[in-house]
Amino acid sequence: MASMFSLPSEVMLTSLISQFPCREQQIRCLATLLAIRGAPSRNIVLYGLEATGKSAIAKALLQKLSTEPDNSLVNGDSDVPLDQLRYAVIKSAECITGRHLLEQTVGAVAKAVNWEGNVGRCENVAQLVVELGRMLEGWRTSDKEASNYRIVLVFDGIDHQREAPPTLLPGLARLGEIPLDPTSCTSLVSHTSTSPPTPSPNSSKFSHLLHQPPNSPSGAKETQETWSRFTSAVYDSLSKHSGRDILSFRSISLRLWPRFIKPILDGQLSATPFSRLLVANRSLFQNETVLIPGIISEPPLAKPGALVQAGNESKGKFQGIATQLPYYSRLLLVASYLASFNPPRLDTVHFMKSASSKRRKKGGGTALSRSSTTKRRTISRKLLGPQAFVLERMLAIFHCLKDDADSRGRHGNGNDRKRERQNGSADIQMAIATLASLRLLVKMGAQNAGDAMDGACRYRVAVGWEVVRGVARSVGVEAEDYLAD
Amino acid sequence: MSDVGETNSHTGFDTIDHQPAYIYTPSGTNDDALERPTKRRKVARGRPSVLQPHDSINSLVFEPLLGEIETLECVQQRQDLFEKCWSETDARIQSILNEANEDTLAEVTAFVDSPGDINQDDDERVPASFIVTGPNIASQDLLFKQLSARLKKEINGPIVTLRSGDASNMKAVLKQLIRDATNQRSEDEELSQERNGRKLLNYDLDILQSYVKKHGSQRVVVAFQDSEAFDTNLVVDLVILFSSWMDRIPFTLLFGIATSVELFQERLSRAASRCLYGFRFDVEQTSSILERIFQSAVANSKASLRLGSEIVASLMERQHDHVQSVQSFIVALKYAYMCHFYGNALSILTDPSTSSQLLLKLMKPCHFEAIRMLPSFRKLIELRVESQELDRARELIQDDAILVQEIEGALESKDGNILRLLRAFHVFASALSEPPSGIDLYMTIFEGALSNSDYLKRALDSIKRMTPNDLVVFIQRIKGAIENGSHELDLDGWADEDEGLIRELRDVEMKAVGLSENSADIEKSIRSSDAIHSKGLRTTVIAQRVQLSYEKSTITEAEKEFINLIDHVSKLLEQYFALENPKDLFLNELWLCDSADSFLDVFAPRPRAAIENALSAPYEYLTCEIGGSEEGLSSTHPPTAIIYQSYLEAGSLINMADLWTTFHEILSSKEGDEGDEREALMQFYRALADLKLVGMVKQSKKKADHLAKVAWKGL
Repeated sequence: MASMFSLPSEVMLTSLISQFPCREQQIRCLATLLAIRGAPSRNIVLYGLEATGKSAIAKALLQKLSTEPDNSLVNGDSDVPLDQLRYAVIKSAECITGRHLLEQTVGAVAKAVNWEGNVGRCENVAQLVVELGRMLEGWRTSDKEASNYRIVLVFDGIDHQREAPPTLLPGLARLGEIPLDPTSCTSLVSHTSTSPPTPSPNSSKFSHLLHQPPNSPSGAKETQETWSRFTSAVYDSLSKHSGRDILSFRSISLRLWPRFIKPILDGQLSATPFSRLLVANRSLFQNETVLIPGIISEPPLAKPGALVQAGNESKGKFQGIATQLPYYSRLLLVASYLASFNPPRLDTVHFMKSASSKRRKKGGGTALSRSSTTKRRTISRKLLGPQAFVLERMLAIFHCLKDDADSRGRHGNGNDRKRERQNGSADIQMAIATLASLRLLVKMGAQNAGDAMDGACRYRVAVGWEVVRGVARSVGVEAEDYLAD
Repeated sequence: MSDVGETNSHTGFDTIDHQPAYIYTPSGTNDDALERPTKRRKVARGRPSVLQPHDSINSLVFEPLLGEIETLECVQQRQDLFEKCWSETDARIQSILNEANEDTLAEVTAFVDSPGDINQDDDERVPASFIVTGPNIASQDLLFKQLSARLKKEINGPIVTLRSGDASNMKAVLKQLIRDATNQRSEDEELSQERNGRKLLNYDLDILQSYVKKHGSQRVVVAFQDSEAFDTNLVVDLVILFSSWMDRIPFTLLFGIATSVELFQERLSRAASRCLYGFRFDVEQTSSILERIFQSAVANSKASLRLGSEIVASLMERQHDHVQSVQSFIVALKYAYMCHFYGNALSILTDPSTSSQLLLKLMKPCHFEAIRMLPSFRKLIELRVESQELDRARELIQDDAILVQEIEGALESKDGNILRLLRAFHVFASALSEPPSGIDLYMTIFEGALSNSDYLKRALDSIKRMTPNDLVVFIQRIKGAIENGSHELDLDGWADEDEGLIRELRDVEMKAVGLSENSADIEKSIRSSDAIHSKGLRTTVIAQRVQLSYEKSTITEAEKEFINLIDHVSKLLEQYFALENPKDLFLNELWLCDSADSFLDVFAPRPRAAIENALSAPYEYLTCEIGGSEEGLSSTHPPTAIIYQSYLEAGSLINMADLWTTFHEILSSKEGDEGDEREALMQFYRALADLKLVGMVKQSKKKADHLAKVAWKGL
């Protein structure tokens, strides 16, 4: 009789280990814990940082284990029981609710064990247990040759499950205890962790990355050489100091690669003195914008200067809005900024018409109160970020600004009839609603609570000082005049 | 109050005390008319007998005008005319709108069809196209409708448009997505929501996957119409979800972005932006579309109704100040058409398809009377009087037959006059290398102010700075404009009608060409007329002193000739652009719509100001009997107005007890002695509920028994 304990075949393991470098220990460990004749355990939690290969290794290992030809058969020992290992992977990211997860689980298990009967609804963990019991029982009766059965459920990213009921995790963890089948096993893969598994040295990453990029300048060997040196350069200059995960490293390398080899393709340089190539492309490695994942893909062979310019463009991203917004929307935006950053008690100083001589005075307050504020050492409002304001207050500020802007700007000759018309106009309310729906103003509190135009509704401005100053100047208002501190 | 309270307590038990609810019956409920205060506005008297022939009137929406003595025939005529005119204009506008987004549509479709070379097989990133539409959210609707129609035609696969309004949470979005996607092929039987004998949840993307498999869909396009208004977390979740399904369902995303792509990306989490890649597509700016629509719908020679400068100015100002939206412009234009044909009984005369004789047969004495009321008629009479044609003036006023002749003449010359204005418009716009915006130019011309305007002055000045070669180019442009006409304005070339001008221009051109050739031969360039006249300033330093002396430049023969040419051209142009003010023409009211006041009231309503005004001055809206006519607090005002008055006088926190005391005092002063306190209380409650409904007060959290003031007057 074959021994009760035997490890999975070494051939399979080595192939896996070569596929996933630096994971030998983890792979062996997992293989032992998963293999039927290994040291089976009911629950396995795989944890670690993002992009460290947890899901990939688990899937690959289970794939091999489930298709592995039984090594006992090789020995020709006929009375050795046949092992049957099946697995089902459930991605939590694809499950919208906790119930969805359970339904998916049932579906995946039914597929794994070739269940052909009807599958009932599965609303909670208890029902899941019943359904799983039926299926596994059916599997055992249909597949009589094997004597050792084992089903592995992989819950990928279970800790990020949306709308998970509080009993879900404990329930799933105890799935293995339920005497459906003595050899069923639950394996949980989760992403969060405090201590990551040993970080892999960088050389390993290259070996993983040695899939050839699409456009290669010359012979395969030369390309290989250039690629490996290129990746090490990328790692040293960019990846080492930013996130160290392999996915971002790979994406950065792939993004930079076409631009890196462009001189070779153009025939300006050859690949052999790598240092010259590196020097010619040094701007690529000095620029950090490539680290931010961009949702706009740049044209594949952009000019070398293009990336440098990209940084400057981000500064102008609000300028477009300033010119596109209608006049009163711009004024409203400025008023919202002032309402957000000025303390309400200083409004009289800045906006009262009777005290127009005091208007330019910044800070406000008397000498007495000022001395007390220095003692308290309050934090500047600008540093505290935008505060919430009541819509009605912003409207009042808006009307002050409007008078000012109109008299200074285009309606210099004072068209009173026109000015009167803006009070309580539906157009102004529409402008506020538009700003809110563009998220330039952010509504505080519950999204659906109260009407957007309710006077007591609280908002916060979502644009910064630079933008507001530009916007204010475009309508002829100097925002600094009205700003405390 | 205390008095009342005491008497109540002394009387002991009241039957009302034990009722579960107090039923408030306002006094004087016997008469229905009294319960609801009558409005001051004049309501139409009994419908006259015009509407009796029922079957023929069924489709008649317009009302008879001129004191309701207008014949039905005329009403019908007006309505038909409106429908015809507007449908023509609308068709032109729609064609422009359709082709305006054509480029964007083509680009996006091409992208969706083959999302770039970056895509690899194992790539889990979702291809996305970011369509930057500008901050006018209203135009996104049209764009996305066009997009989905176009994509449906060209792409094999479902197209779903999501709006922020119906996307409250993930489940709802997915449900809608699946439902919309699977319903797009109506000929199919209901898609089975089962897989392997398992009934799927209705938000399970497995359903979509089986649909995709069944129909072999090449793409599943999901469009986020107003992506900024979506809850950011929702977008992030959806993007990550779609990316994890990418290996089974070929998703493509479209984002309508009002601000900028960078801002949008800033809101996304890193994980989500890693799952996206794509291109940005810019939509044509609203202002340029607007200009094109203006040219084809307002300035077009086939447009049957002209907009006056005042109305265009107010429309454009609104576009600039409040909403940059093509849709609102179109709506305003339609309203102008409606107003014109609905409210102007004389608009029947503008029908271009019927001869003026036929039209004049429709005219009734009332029409002539109406024409005599027109300002332009008055101007005509004044003109006659000034030129000492008193008899003619008298006849025009008294004799209908003479008036008919005059009208006939005016109608016949109408088209010519308009054409002349539009031709001047076109020539002016195309002659300059940097023409003013078409809308501004149109406004100036239809004010009749072109001859004195800055535009003309600037144009004439620029001629003076021209060299002979420039002049040739300039004249060629003018000639081209006259000969070729304009496609946007539907103007045909009119070279044969303006032969004199063309001939003159050709002369000048020949001479200028000759001059420039000569000057090239003798290698001495001819200076522009400005440069010739400007005196050269010469500085000489003699014995450490600076001497300034003006140097009269010498003028060659050729230059002299050139100056004459230039003067000739500017005279020609001045003559050509000396246009009549369309408002001075007789019967301009028939084809020129120019009253901006009604527009602002319709398109920029002021609901808040109206409510505040109604509450603070109810006598403006209600009859005196009920509303009273005095300002300030008055017991005759409706209770809500009384409370509103004291509300205005209060601070930001309002003590309920004080408010009630004031209210009760005012009410009891009306009735002389203390009335029914309970009834007063009911009115008080009702009035407060009204204020709360309007959103002016809310419960204060700071103090018990206090109300927080939410709205201030006049904001």
